[in-house]
Amino acid sequence: MTLQACLLLAFLLFAIGIYGMLTRRNAIAILISMELMLNAANINFIAFAHYKAVDATAGAVFAIFAIAATACEMAIALAIAIIVYRRHGFLDVDQLTELRDPDV
Amino acid sequence: MDALPLKDILFYITAIIMVAGALLTVTVKNVLHSAIALIGTFFSSAVLYFLLHAEFVGVAQVMVYIGGVVVFIVLAILLTSHLGEEALEASKRRKIIAAFFALLISVLAVMLLREISSVTPTETEDFASLASIGKRLLSTEDTGFILPFEAISLLLLISLIGAITIAYIPKEDKPAGDK
Repeated sequence: MTLQACLLLAFLLFAIGIYGMLTRRNAIAILISMELMLNAANINFIAFAHYKAVDATAGAVFAIFAIAATACEMAIALAIAIIVYRRHGFLDVDQLTELRDPDV
Repeated sequence: MDALPLKDILFYITAIIMVAGALLTVTVKNVLHSAIALIGTFFSSAVLYFLLHAEFVGVAQVMVYIGGVVVFIVLAILLTSHLGEEALEASKRRKIIAAFFALLISVLAVMLLREISSVTPTETEDFASLASIGKRLLSTEDTGFILPFEAISLLLLISLIGAITIAYIPKEDKPAGDK
């Protein structure tokens, strides 16, 4: 278990998250892919804190703040997903074009 | 050949489960199944945090992500799907483009990681222990995190109120049949 192995794992998770984000059409599935990418960032925080940090506790505290911010973001995003579904009856991001300029 | 240390074996098992869970999460058709695959990824990353001696973050990962966020997601999926709905699929072209970008990032990652020199763990005495995290979070000294701690509490409160406000239906615009 080395720093490189941990970082490679995080990069792989991030790449998988990117793939999911670009291929999914359900809004909630896109949020799930985003969670994967945020998780990859957290793994980087902890790996660097463990292997390189002068002040390792600060690294862990940073990851905790990132987790809290993610929880906030998910609460808002899912509330928006629910209200969009209530209004349109679907969550297909290819059909949600309300905010798009029709002339473009 | 020497036997691998237990920690390394555990790390590789965790990594394989994590990547497999993530791949399942983005490839299965049913969104509910992908939320369940996400639990596997989150749980294995909690195990990874334990391996890296960040116990508190590992416990927070299980409590906040698996106990909170995944439950949120599952509830939202159940509220926004109806029976017999066919799963939305992206076109083949889009899948190829997405796979290309994912591969590009992986290749870049491998190239970058070759530049990083190998380091040994710092292994400080109280690395991210529960006691040191608690003291740092509430310390008012220069190295303390009391201000961001209070700010994030406020952010949590505001976003929860915001979420309720967004999803709330005022009485007069309730759709017909909704009691």
